[in-house]
Order: sequence, then C-alpha cells, then structure tokens
Amino acid sequence: MADEFDRLLVDALSPPEREADRAFVARVQTQVALEERFASERRSLVRDLLQQLVALLAVGAGAWWLGRSAPVAEWASESPATALAILLATFMFVAATFITRTASRNLLGGAQ
Amino acid sequence: MVPANEEDLALSRRAAGGDSAAFAMLVGKYERPLRAFLTRTFSADVADDIAQDAFIKAWRAAGQYDGRARYSTWLTSIAWRCGLDALRKERKPEVECEHEHVRPATGEVDDMLARLSQSERASLVLCEGHGWTHMEAAEVLGLPLGTLKSTVARAKAKCRAMWEGAEHG
Repeated sequence: MADEFDRLLVDALSPPEREADRAFVARVQTQVALEERFASERRSLVRDLLQQLVALLAVGAGAWWLGRSAPVAEWASESPATALAILLATFMFVAATFITRTASRNLLGGAQ
Repeated sequence: MVPANEEDLALSRRAAGGDSAAFAMLVGKYERPLRAFLTRTFSADVADDIAQDAFIKAWRAAGQYDGRARYSTWLTSIAWRCGLDALRKERKPEVECEHEHVRPATGEVDDMLARLSQSERASLVLCEGHGWTHMEAAEVLGLPLGTLKSTVARAKAKCRAMWEGAEHG
C-alpha cells in the first residue's frame, strides 16, 4: 500500500499537467528546417563534386587519348612548349568553368 | 500493435518522408514528459538543449522507428544517450553525490535526487514518476532488467532514508 513517502515521490516525479509548449515546438521546427536545408546543401555539394570529378576525368582521358595519336605526339615532340601551353589553357578553362558554376550556384542558394 | 503506437508510427513515417508538420505533432505530444524526465535526471539548465538535440536526432532517424516499442520509449532512449554525451563533453563524470556527506538531507525531492547517481535518478523518475515498466526503463537506460530493478529499489531506499532522516531529524 502506498504510504506518504510513495505519494510524495510519485507527485514530485510525475510530468506536470500542462498543454504542449508551442514555443518549444516552434523552436524544434526551426531547427528541423535548418537541418533540412543543410542536408540539401550537403547533397548538392557532393553531387557537384562527383560531376566535376567525372568531367575532369573525361577531359584528362580525352587529352591522354589525343596525345597518344601519332600526328599529335609528333607535333608535341617538335614544339613541347606550345603543347604544354595548350594543355594548361584547357585546364584553366575547365577549372574556371567549374568555379564560376559553383560560385553562381552558391550565390543563388544564399539569395533564397 | 497498440493503437497509440500505430498513430505515432504513421506520424513518424510521414516525418521520415519530410513532413515536418507530422513531426511537430510528435514534438507537441512528447515534449512535456521528455523535458520533465530530463529536468529531473540531468538539470533544468540543460534539459531543453538535450530535448531539442534528441528531437533533431529523432527527426533524422524517423524512418528507423518501427512501432514495436512506444514512441516515448524510443525517443527517451535517444534523449538519454544525448544527455550522457552532453555530460561527457562537459567532462563531468557521473559522480554519486558530491555533497552527500557535506550537509544533511533536507527531505526535499530535488535535494534527494541530487544525492543519487545519474542512473538511479533516471530509473526512479521513469518507474516511479512516469509509471514505466521495469522492462521499458531497462531498455531505455541500456541496463539488464535485474540491474534496473535493483537500481530502482536502491534509489528509493536511499530517498526514503533521507526523507525519514529529515522528518525525524
């Protein structure tokens, strides 16, 4: 049988009877919205990185394949400086394209 | 499955699909007992932060709730781990009563709880205050059933001794 002490303990340790705390619920909802936004940005970042990696690999493979063909290999051995300049220019163009794309996407994301 | 579990399972599945309104219903339904548990077990200062952290984790893991246990059991076990993590980050080891021998007990419930260990407090609050079964509390706190039962009995005996000491002292 419950004595005075048991009743005291149950009364003190029971959750208080009250309505749901709307302010707390709203705070959690704000956190959830932030969490969703970060998760979506993370997913988008990973997707971009993968796309860029695939594109870089494709450009690299194309350059390697071109370099192996006899006329190009012969020309490159005759004027290696020009070949290197073309290679560097291509790389810079690809890098600039990726950077511009990522920056404009970040700007658009920040504006939303 | 218990009807309440079915309802919570449906809400949790909707939350897993990105429905934040469904999740807000779960938050509204369970924030009161969860925050009461955390306030008693940890402290009022950190209870809301731990509860918020637990709800965010429950949101992320909404798809993992399968409705076999009550939603409150599942949520409280997440919150219990969040609380222990928070203590670890603060580098506060679980101290069994820092001031037990410094000053006599007053017989107030807050004071009695402060003199118990973390797991004794949690076991007592869940089983005596929230009316959970020993099995549910053991599951949440990650304790074997026998250990949980003896922890509750020990915690209650300690509190009773303090209360009687304060009454007659």
